[in-house]
Amino acid sequence: MTKDHAGRIAVPRAINWNRLQDDKDLEVWNRLTVNFWLPEKVPLSNDVQSWATLSAAEQQLTIRVFTGLTLLDTIQNAVGAPAMMPDALTPHEEAVLTNIAFMEAVHARSYSSIFSTLCSTREVDEAFRWSEENPQLQAKARAVLETYAPGADPLKRKVASVFLESFLFYSGFYLPMYWSSRAKLTNTADLIRLIIRDEAVHGYYIGYKFQRALERQDAARRAELKEYTFSLLFELYEIEAKYTEALYDDLGLTEEVKSFLHYNANKALQNLGFEALFPAEACEVNPAILAALSPDSENHDFFSGSGSSYVIGRAVATEDADWDF
Amino acid sequence: MLDHVSDTLDFHALNAMLNLYDAEGRIRFDADRMAARQYFLRHVNQNTVFFHSLDEKLDYLVDEGYYEAEVLAAYPRAFLHRIWDAAFAKKFRFPTFLGAFKYYTSYTLRTRDGKRFLERYEDRVVMCALTLARGDEALAMAFMEEILSGRFQPATPTFLNAGKKSRGELISCFLLRMEDNMESIGRSINSALQLSRRGGGVALMLTNIREHGAPIKGIENQSSGVIPIMKLLEDSFSYANQLGARQGAGAVYLNAHHPDILRFLDTKRENADEKIRIKTLSLGVVIPDVTFELARRNAEMYLFSPHDVEKVYGVPFSEISVTEKYAEMVADKRIAKKKIGARAFFQTLAEIQFESGYPYIMFEDTVNRANPVAGRITMSNLCSEILQVNEASTYKEDLSYAHLGTDISCNLGSLNIAKTMDGADLGATVERAVRALTAVSEMSAIDSVPSVRRGNDESHAIGLGQMNLHGYLARERVHYGSPEGVEFTSVYFAAVAFHAIRASCALARETGERFRGFEQSSYASGGFFDKYTDRDWLPQSGTVAQLFAGIALPGRTDWAALKAEVMAHGLYNRNLQAVPPTGSISYINNSTSSIHPIVSKIEIRKEGRIGRVYYPAPFMTNDNLEYYRDAYEVGPEALIETYAAATEHVDQGLSLTLFFPAEATTRDINRAQILAWRKGIKTLYYVRLRQTALEGTEVEGCVSCTL
Repeated sequence: MTKDHAGRIAVPRAINWNRLQDDKDLEVWNRLTVNFWLPEKVPLSNDVQSWATLSAAEQQLTIRVFTGLTLLDTIQNAVGAPAMMPDALTPHEEAVLTNIAFMEAVHARSYSSIFSTLCSTREVDEAFRWSEENPQLQAKARAVLETYAPGADPLKRKVASVFLESFLFYSGFYLPMYWSSRAKLTNTADLIRLIIRDEAVHGYYIGYKFQRALERQDAARRAELKEYTFSLLFELYEIEAKYTEALYDDLGLTEEVKSFLHYNANKALQNLGFEALFPAEACEVNPAILAALSPDSENHDFFSGSGSSYVIGRAVATEDADWDF
Repeated sequence: MLDHVSDTLDFHALNAMLNLYDAEGRIRFDADRMAARQYFLRHVNQNTVFFHSLDEKLDYLVDEGYYEAEVLAAYPRAFLHRIWDAAFAKKFRFPTFLGAFKYYTSYTLRTRDGKRFLERYEDRVVMCALTLARGDEALAMAFMEEILSGRFQPATPTFLNAGKKSRGELISCFLLRMEDNMESIGRSINSALQLSRRGGGVALMLTNIREHGAPIKGIENQSSGVIPIMKLLEDSFSYANQLGARQGAGAVYLNAHHPDILRFLDTKRENADEKIRIKTLSLGVVIPDVTFELARRNAEMYLFSPHDVEKVYGVPFSEISVTEKYAEMVADKRIAKKKIGARAFFQTLAEIQFESGYPYIMFEDTVNRANPVAGRITMSNLCSEILQVNEASTYKEDLSYAHLGTDISCNLGSLNIAKTMDGADLGATVERAVRALTAVSEMSAIDSVPSVRRGNDESHAIGLGQMNLHGYLARERVHYGSPEGVEFTSVYFAAVAFHAIRASCALARETGERFRGFEQSSYASGGFFDKYTDRDWLPQSGTVAQLFAGIALPGRTDWAALKAEVMAHGLYNRNLQAVPPTGSISYINNSTSSIHPIVSKIEIRKEGRIGRVYYPAPFMTNDNLEYYRDAYEVGPEALIETYAAATEHVDQGLSLTLFFPAEATTRDINRAQILAWRKGIKTLYYVRLRQTALEGTEVEGCVSCTL
């Protein structure tokens, strides 16, 4: 608890959303609340037949990928977002971070919905065990967690957080997008696309806050942070590359996934306001995957899925003029 | 450049390139054509069973039990050679990847292990024509011409199943009543299972079911209302699918003045409890005029217990016009009621539509005013375009019928407006389509649901639809929703109505049969024809006159002659037109859906069986993009104007989806609904939303993401 100068517990000021220091807070808050969803809305059970068409190895890979994603969402929910709260410059930023934390919990919960719908308990337990023992997964979790530790540099924390949201997730997101481009697990892909929709906003917002803070630093400090950003990315990329090879070599997809990683690494750097690292040739993502990322304006068939473009609307009462007939 | 690309990318990747601009900001139509070619070269051709001759093929398919022998036996072998030769001589090619992909994944006949194709597109078309012509060679040849040229496209159940030995029904869609007793509820669930197994969507009317907390056998607080029935139905539909070929799908309709209405809507809330959440069942609300009137006055709206209404009036709640009896029912102490704010009701409706796209809406009084047939229309169907009268059944204790009522089925098929206009003989195309749809009705006998069988036998109801309106207008460089676009729609639909009625009258003359209840219809009294004999429905502007150049259009003297014919000979079909949303068949047929505007220049289509595929709007090139404004740009007003012009001439309904950007409010949706109701629209289908990516988070260079 923070104490005031008289040694009493400091009471925070009530949050006033009508006095904004940064309009971006409200814009993102609105976007995140409008995008609220729960996994129960997606009819995952429609994927049961499709799941049965995957080979045992493909099923195992899919479960493993999802346990990896679960771990990252758990970190962001339990540690990452709360760790950034004390660094918040405005009360509104704190409020946005609580929303981010909660949605990360929803994401982590979603993977369990997928598991309970599609797989057996034994398979799931095995995959969770795998995730606890997988050296690359543990290494990337640890690299991010270090920056979340109390007393760590708040801006470095944001850098790591953006890498988690905008880069580390994508080696895992690749697989459901790949399946859905082959008409497999399409409802699962819908759910993942809802997660991607959220993570895109999270990464963007945290990156934005990083950029605003960076503007207030002196040149030496700016250089230090840039240096740090790129060295962390190199470190994470090395782990990601190994992780990708371990997962995707058997399917022969490793090279494609790596292009996707490059693409997203550049995207993460862009969120942080830095120039791209990978040249365009190295980021040529398979068009089927790239096009699959956009959730908006999809014209789904209502009878086999729920789509990922519905939102919670703004309720505005009608007025007398509307009923003038 | 693409040749190099096509070596390294598979057809899915090539198809996805449609959604990504090239370096000069142009849409890559050539990538999609390449995808279609690759799909044939690398997949279809390699997986198609080869036969040396037509005889070998037909003998094999009949002997192995793939084709129905009776269909082919109705024709001499020499004719079969002629029709197959004629079909293949037309050199049909799929213009888009999605068209080909959809056809081969969902329609074509395959070996039993599902691995190899046994038919090409031409085979399917010919089998469909032979099945529907039932031995009439000239008619078979005419059907083949209409279908293969793309002018007429039978609905999925017909096109998918015709001529196959093991198959589902040819009918698209069923509508069942449910009455307020356990026999009817049980029987309806059984019927839902039976119909869902055979194919086609099933809609059920719940308006007559007593509400949550209503008394049973006089004991208060006993009934559980409509939600548990919806749960049972939802599970029934997911259980029964056509050999996995088509997912079972169902809808339920409830009157806005039913006391469970808010619970009914809440089943689609984002945060609904799992026990009451409805995921895959579609919802529809029946709204009478009085609800609008109450909202206009900002008054409360009363909800009436169906159980009490039935006791007081001696007929089920659905048979009462709420608008007509509203004041009387409010004053009647014997009817239990509660009230909610009428405007709050509309707002709730819009909130749920934001979150889920549901419910559909049927404007009850509009529908019944426009109904030329005697009887009451109380519900619509899974796609909100079927509007027909039905009659309640009653049951004995052993679940057999004490009185066999009528339920509704409908056979659908759609004309491709562009191809029909190109064909230049509108009358002949409509007549052939009516005959093909009538054949489906005559060939169908749903014995598992006797009330549906009786309904079909007595009415021979069909639903001729239309598609590719936007594609046609854009090709002709007319904007969708412009005055010329609306004028074209009005003239076109009036001409279709004329020829559909003419064809049905010809059928009545040939068979000496007319639909049951013809004598009580406004066709028989002649009143139906007034609006066509009082004025002409012909082009006004030079632009539209030009579009119809060379096409004979009916004037008021033609209508007067038709009126006399119909009054003398009757009509064979009780219902003729219904404009369905046309999903799958419009992709195969290279059309824009129904008479909707396109949803996007490059549409992202997602379905369970095909995954995510990209579809370019028909006739679009990098030079005429301005005519392809999408539904979100066109806006609800122009869309409603277009539909109102068509509705004027359609005896049943038209599936009308409203499109809004995610920044819209519930008020915007309500205003569009009020406008639709005022303009005489009969039903509203989905509300679709488009959320544009937050600036800074979008996928770069994506066609469907940019406005």
